[in-house]
Amino acid sequence: MAKRELQEINAGSMADIAFLLLIFFLVTTTMDKDTAFIRNIPKKITVTDPVKVEERNILAIKANNQNQLMVRGEIFNDPNKISEFVVKFYRTNERENDPSNNFPMYSTATMELINSQLEDFDRKIEDAENAGSPKEMIEFLNNSYKEWDKKKRALALLGGSQLREISGQAHVRIEVQQATEYSIFAKIQTEIEEALYELRDEKSMQLWGTSYGVLKRKVATEQDKARDEKAKIELLEILYPQRIIEVKPKK
Amino acid sequence: MSKFKKGGGRSMPGVNTSSLPDIVFMLLFFFMVATTSKEVDPTVQVDAPVGARATDLTPYKQRSEVDFLYLGKPRNPARADDFKMGFALSLDNVVQPTADGLYTTNAVGQWKKDKFDQKPARMTAPIESVITCVKADKSAPSGLIFDIRKELQEVNALTIAYAVRDNTNI
Repeated sequence: MAKRELQEINAGSMADIAFLLLIFFLVTTTMDKDTAFIRNIPKKITVTDPVKVEERNILAIKANNQNQLMVRGEIFNDPNKISEFVVKFYRTNERENDPSNNFPMYSTATMELINSQLEDFDRKIEDAENAGSPKEMIEFLNNSYKEWDKKKRALALLGGSQLREISGQAHVRIEVQQATEYSIFAKIQTEIEEALYELRDEKSMQLWGTSYGVLKRKVATEQDKARDEKAKIELLEILYPQRIIEVKPKK
Repeated sequence: MSKFKKGGGRSMPGVNTSSLPDIVFMLLFFFMVATTSKEVDPTVQVDAPVGARATDLTPYKQRSEVDFLYLGKPRNPARADDFKMGFALSLDNVVQPTADGLYTTNAVGQWKKDKFDQKPARMTAPIESVITCVKADKSAPSGLIFDIRKELQEVNALTIAYAVRDNTNI
């Protein structure tokens, strides 16, 4: 009998097997991103007499133990409508102040005002340092200075002669109760984010023809290189600031 | 003499595909390594609520500037009664008990401080800006979240993140 040549194993299907495995892993692993709403907790301080906030500057969104919603004293059956209301809160007096409605007023800042404020704070910081004022005081003054400096850059970027700004007291207030479901709380946060996104996006389209989402993504991917985008976002955040107060539930 | 020879002669050699499996295996390993599942499997059941326009935490995770805590139902339903409102808080996979076996947030402050002390030296962010991400079940009572928030405020960890499942892309 002739000696048969040892046959090589056909490895052609190995690739198919490996492909199968690959596809299996691709399908089963979910690239779950962790997404969340990042919020600041106010510093713990003891307030002796709280500042009175005008009613027009508060947008109270309440949810009770039965998960029912109330926005500014009105019962809301459709939680998806909250964002519309938030947009209205920012928009109503944006162009012109009308004291007869119950929405926050806007103030107008001109370049002269900003410059004089900057000088003013510069002097105050110097005085405070010379007088040896407490650290908190100097920090506060420094922060105020930075705020005005931001406004200066914002106005320079915006062009024109004035910067319309929503009242510094204007804020959205989330009031939930002990047993309100977390999903309701998250829904309210979502609606506020949606409203701010809508406002900023529209402004961004109007000013530069790019969407706010594109700006955000650019900053996220290129970080420090995207300087223009960062400045643009800073401006949008000054025009439509995100101010949320979460009230600790009592019952 | 025909122009076309049938059979016999030289045939076109097939492309050598013996290295194809290696390439595919390489791809396979790449995906197995690069896609990570959750870093821990929490001891409590958490079904996050749906949200939109939330911030992606990946960059913070890469800089380890975020700590996760879980608030959900205990995996064993019989134990639900042991916790306030049926929800348990899990810190680093340890469900926090108290002396009387009830739910507590008292450990949150100390936990956060310890976490902060263990951070790698390259991390320079102050405790105020290190995010604490609360991953809560959608039916968790908000009161418990505010308890956690208060504890964080006590230790000056002033950035909190409320986790949601965001299915939309920016």
